[in-house]
Amino acid sequence: MGDIVYFDNAATSPLDLRVAEAMRPWIGETFGNPSSLHGFGRRARQAVDRAREQLAALLNAHPGEIVFTGSGTEADNLALIGVATAYDPGDCHIVTSSIEHPAVLETCRYLGRRGVEVSYLPVDGDGIVDPASLESVLRPTTRLVSVMAANNVVGTIQPIAELARIAHEHGALFHTDAVQAVSKLPLDVRAQELDLLSLSAHKLNGPQGVGALFVRDGIELEAYVHGGGQERGLRSGTENVAGLVGLGRAAEILAVEMSEDAARLVSFSDRIIETLAEKIPNAYLIGHRYRRLPGHLCLGFRGQENEGITLLLELNEAGIAASSGSACSAQHVAESSYVLTAMGFDPIRARGSLRVTLGRFTSEAEVERFLEILPQAVASLRPITSHVLLSA
Amino acid sequence: MTVTLSDLPGLNCGLCGFRGCDAMAERLAEDPELVKRCVPLASGYGKVGKRPESAAPKRPQAASTQFASTQFASTRAAPAPVASCAGCAVAEPSAVQLNSGPVEKKWLDSLGREFDFVLECFPEEPGPREIIIPHNPLLTREMEIEVGETLIGRPLGMSCGCPITHCGIVQQVDRRTGVMVWCVTGPLRPRQEGFKDLGYYIAEGYEGLIKESRCEVQIGRRYFFQPRMCMLQWRHSGLVNYINRTDDGLQIRIEGLWIG
Repeated sequence: MGDIVYFDNAATSPLDLRVAEAMRPWIGETFGNPSSLHGFGRRARQAVDRAREQLAALLNAHPGEIVFTGSGTEADNLALIGVATAYDPGDCHIVTSSIEHPAVLETCRYLGRRGVEVSYLPVDGDGIVDPASLESVLRPTTRLVSVMAANNVVGTIQPIAELARIAHEHGALFHTDAVQAVSKLPLDVRAQELDLLSLSAHKLNGPQGVGALFVRDGIELEAYVHGGGQERGLRSGTENVAGLVGLGRAAEILAVEMSEDAARLVSFSDRIIETLAEKIPNAYLIGHRYRRLPGHLCLGFRGQENEGITLLLELNEAGIAASSGSACSAQHVAESSYVLTAMGFDPIRARGSLRVTLGRFTSEAEVERFLEILPQAVASLRPITSHVLLSA
Repeated sequence: MTVTLSDLPGLNCGLCGFRGCDAMAERLAEDPELVKRCVPLASGYGKVGKRPESAAPKRPQAASTQFASTQFASTRAAPAPVASCAGCAVAEPSAVQLNSGPVEKKWLDSLGREFDFVLECFPEEPGPREIIIPHNPLLTREMEIEVGETLIGRPLGMSCGCPITHCGIVQQVDRRTGVMVWCVTGPLRPRQEGFKDLGYYIAEGYEGLIKESRCEVQIGRRYFFQPRMCMLQWRHSGLVNYINRTDDGLQIRIEGLWIG
């Protein structure tokens, strides 16, 4: 795999060797159930507590406000189901956006089938929720507003602080799915007045199989996983100690390196955008030019959107691992991207996007290689139209 | 409004591409536009008590034919919208429009039949752009057809068959499939410069611009339309499978063609 350029960091990011080193003792050398009272257990408990502190520090939260889960999806489920089931279904209204990850959308649909009313906010052509649209749907029974911090397909960043403020003015809690954002944006649960925040370790160069939910002090959630009462009773099940140690270390590294990573990734993004403008005149950027995650580009090729799958295959052959839409929908390639559809794209354009997501280990040489290969790959596509006008 | 270091959030997040707010502030004096790159400011969690960008007057909600993507190569202003009839039903434009009262004469073909829009040529091209295939696709190899050559042929096979022999200039040739793109012109050029005769061909698609329409044109729907250069001024129908909003009008591609 050494020759493959990995530009799919939004799907999962490679494990940082420093994280792997921190996890290593917990894979084979030592072990313990954090709930045990003997030495093995106490060491495991200390390791988990340390991870909790490291993650809390990244978010400006208290360690006691961190609930570890098995994934970002599980954290989203706990946030939404945990709030909704505290109310009678008829007395619970949830607001979310139309471009959320399926972890939120499908959970909302699940709750909807059980009588909870759900409103889906539209987004503009840049993929951004207008806070005024939230104001218009709030009602006395609105218990929760859930809007992602940054979108997984197009990478656009949502005005979550503004949305949280509006939710609070109307007595609702605010949750954000920060799975994509947490490794790239400075998230501060106090400054941004967030009540619930979901994240996943493998998006921040940590291990797969571990996630977390920030739950602000004083918020009572209903658990939906019942058992031994771990994680304050909110997520029973023996902790994944190695994974959590990895998450903690990944958070610790991020707290130090995030800004520098971001600046470098933005410069790479700029380089890609500027070069494509020169080499591929029909290329266009999907989503807001600046309000987007660093290193996260969603590209379209005017007149060739029908060839999105071919382009991915061509790039794969040439040693570039990129993505169409989101990895979670890769098994449903026949479906248009609901995110792009919500942004106003027609069904053909909505299927034709190329998602390129850089990461901590992306090198300048890889960017240059991509810029050499992509124009050739695009030139080889059979366009839907024989003539592309480039205006607008 | 001048933005200085004291206005920046001080998060040193790097999202602007600079390593910190200090570095960005230094450049802001010479390039105030850089402030657009400050994501915390734009997203409403900077320390400045400004209204976030999202609280500015609302942009229109994205509709099915509105694309707010950024064209790298284009710096032109947003195009004027394609004129369409006010209050037209979006869901079933063609079906709703027809048989719904008196129709302006400009929306009737030479046989008095209604259509939804006129298909114009691309302004820089010598005639309407058609995608065609000879009834024997191997002709493209046997006749060694090249881009820029002049051809003639008759579009046999479309419903009701156009009886007029067409002339055109080749724009693209795919000798593997026999599919060609040409721009249809008048007969003057073949008379002057010579031509190759395709015999019969099938018109597989049209491409062109809509500058005015009676209804919103949506991808995936069939429409009646009038090719501007059609010598008979008969309406055609077809399925729109590509739309591109441009400064020159709505660029479309239509396949599944029928006359009438």
